[in-house]
Amino acid sequence: MELLGLVNYALFMAIFICIYALLALGLNIQWGFAGLFNAGIAGFFAVGAYTSAIISTPPADGRIGGFDLHFVVGWIAAMLAAALVAWPIGKICLRFRSDYLAIATIGIAEIIRLVIKSEPALTNGARGISSIPRPAGDLAYMESQIAYLVIVLAVLIAVYFLVERQFNAPWGRMMRAIRDNEDAAKAMGKNVEFRRLEAFIFGAALMGLGGALFAHFNRSITPEAIDPMVATFLIWIMLILGGSGNNRGAILGAAVVWIIWSVSEIATDRLPTEYAVQAKYIRLFLIGLMLQLVLRFRPEGLLPEPLRGDQRVTKSGTDQS
Amino acid sequence: MKTKFLALAAGMMAATALASVPAQADVKIGLIGGVSGPIAAMAPAMIDAAQLAVQQVNEQGGIGDGETLVGVVGDSACNPQGGTDAATKAVNIEGVVGIVGPHCSGAVLAAAGSVTIPAGIALITPSGTSPEISGLEDKGTVFRTVPSDDYQGRALARTMKDMGYGKVAVAYLNNDYGTGLANAFKAEYVDELGGDITQFAAHEEGKASYRSNLAELAKGGADTLVIFDYGDGTGLTILRQALENGFFDKFVGGDGMKSDAVINELGAENLSTFVASSPVGEASKSLDMFNEAFKGIGGDPDAIFANTSYDAAFLLALAVEKAGGKKEDVAAAVVEVSNGEGEAILPGEWKKAKELIAAGTAIDYKGAAGDHNFDAKGDVPGTYALFEVGSNGFETITEMK
Repeated sequence: MELLGLVNYALFMAIFICIYALLALGLNIQWGFAGLFNAGIAGFFAVGAYTSAIISTPPADGRIGGFDLHFVVGWIAAMLAAALVAWPIGKICLRFRSDYLAIATIGIAEIIRLVIKSEPALTNGARGISSIPRPAGDLAYMESQIAYLVIVLAVLIAVYFLVERQFNAPWGRMMRAIRDNEDAAKAMGKNVEFRRLEAFIFGAALMGLGGALFAHFNRSITPEAIDPMVATFLIWIMLILGGSGNNRGAILGAAVVWIIWSVSEIATDRLPTEYAVQAKYIRLFLIGLMLQLVLRFRPEGLLPEPLRGDQRVTKSGTDQS
Repeated sequence: MKTKFLALAAGMMAATALASVPAQADVKIGLIGGVSGPIAAMAPAMIDAAQLAVQQVNEQGGIGDGETLVGVVGDSACNPQGGTDAATKAVNIEGVVGIVGPHCSGAVLAAAGSVTIPAGIALITPSGTSPEISGLEDKGTVFRTVPSDDYQGRALARTMKDMGYGKVAVAYLNNDYGTGLANAFKAEYVDELGGDITQFAAHEEGKASYRSNLAELAKGGADTLVIFDYGDGTGLTILRQALENGFFDKFVGGDGMKSDAVINELGAENLSTFVASSPVGEASKSLDMFNEAFKGIGGDPDAIFANTSYDAAFLLALAVEKAGGKKEDVAAAVVEVSNGEGEAILPGEWKKAKELIAAGTAIDYKGAAGDHNFDAKGDVPGTYALFEVGSNGFETITEMK
């Protein structure tokens, strides 16, 4: 193992963590602020990834686009498209509560995945879209990774500050009021349906952006990337472990989970080769175990939601319904 | 409280990091496959086959200056996230000189796009069949030992036309494998040969019943059903239900359907009208040598993509030897050791190859799954045959051209 290799690997992990942190921040707006159980993250991730891919790839036969536009245009379009898709979904589904909403959103993510797989004219079907330009992709391996990390990090920091601002603003307090006691919020004259929809759309837009960043990093997007395991549940684990309702918690959760997910494979590789194949399942086990431990001993996550006032009275984070 | 948990998290991460003490002085190649995930049932045999090549190299003098070749297994989970992660670790942490895999096309595209092409590491996939892989701007570093789906679909269409099949209905699994094959088949059968496809429909995997799909497929009056699916999965269900309900008289499958599960489950007596195409080794001696060796380590030589995995690993080892262990020259050497010119090397003939390379003689690897004379895109033309079900399992009817 050379030092350079280690640096390259660290850069790669950092890029992935930033992308996942964006997704976790999006989910934090939906679940952490507004209490919306969205189990269809993969769907919005996919919409963002494909939108940006279609917009920024060179023209191709057999599908719409590509329009060969700048990647920034693609990323903005990815957010808009994810928000646009989220709007009717939110309109219809947000009437459901908690677990019913989860079921509905799982279904929707599945619908989006199947549409993507089955519509070659739109997304090139099961083959996916490749040759997506990567910003600074012409540089050498390490320089290109550094450049991409800088871009992704800048995006993440900007998003973090914006979301954090929202959280501390009256809007954030209102969202939490709606989450914790809908009737009371309604009695205060808040338009609950509209606000919930707002949170759903904001979150979805961030997920779309995460998808776009992912597609450009890999220079390709295929339906295999919309696997619920890595594009929905892993993000839930990140948020729950990091601390829902806390933006820093979301980012920390993304980092911890991804590092354990990725690095544990290096550890299992040290086992004798005859176990090499079986050992790969250890990381699935590790993630599950970690989730169990956190839920058992630290249900509010590593960094719990910051609450003002007396913690003993509110005792929060745990009793969201 | 807070610090305690932060410390716990940090501790877990540190523990995993510390556990990774590298072994040195070996030449490593990455064997990246979908160990967990949708192809988990197929991956172990493929990885074992690749490890067989590694084992043979080590038994016959090792690589370079008697160094040990080590296959480092990575899990791509059959998705791009896992593929890039595994490839990054293989390239940077393990310092591999080349990669065999990933197994799934989506993972191949992502791993190549974000890791191996920028890093200039050779990648040979034994099972990524998507035509998109041909189009990668890979600076000559991406290869595959399995033909693109385009080849097989078109060859099957030509063979069927020659054999006098008429109206057909096509049912294909809605993934890159099924879609790729089906589209290539359709392009050749209808557009080039003027054949008639009455129904052309994708289906999702894992449903309990496909009777409504089959009823729909049977509507156009076709007597033949062409199935592009896996014979140990959904394809089996479709074939069974089509037979039970008498929707079609004749059945044709792609290579995924040439599975012993079909015969074991449905019985050879019911499959008299079933044929399936499958890649075959051109020089059958190569295939025999591989089969023998693979049986020797307890493997099943008929396992899908086992021979392509073996070839990919053996080719990579030859290329590493040829390049003198220099990472940046491996990709170019892959083409040199298998371009149809030079002394023929068959599977397992490592010692001979090593001596020839040392003497500066050109060599040409003739693999178990084909000759692997790569074209400019790093693709190989396939050699396929059509099989029918006889009393002893699958028997060859004809070569597919």
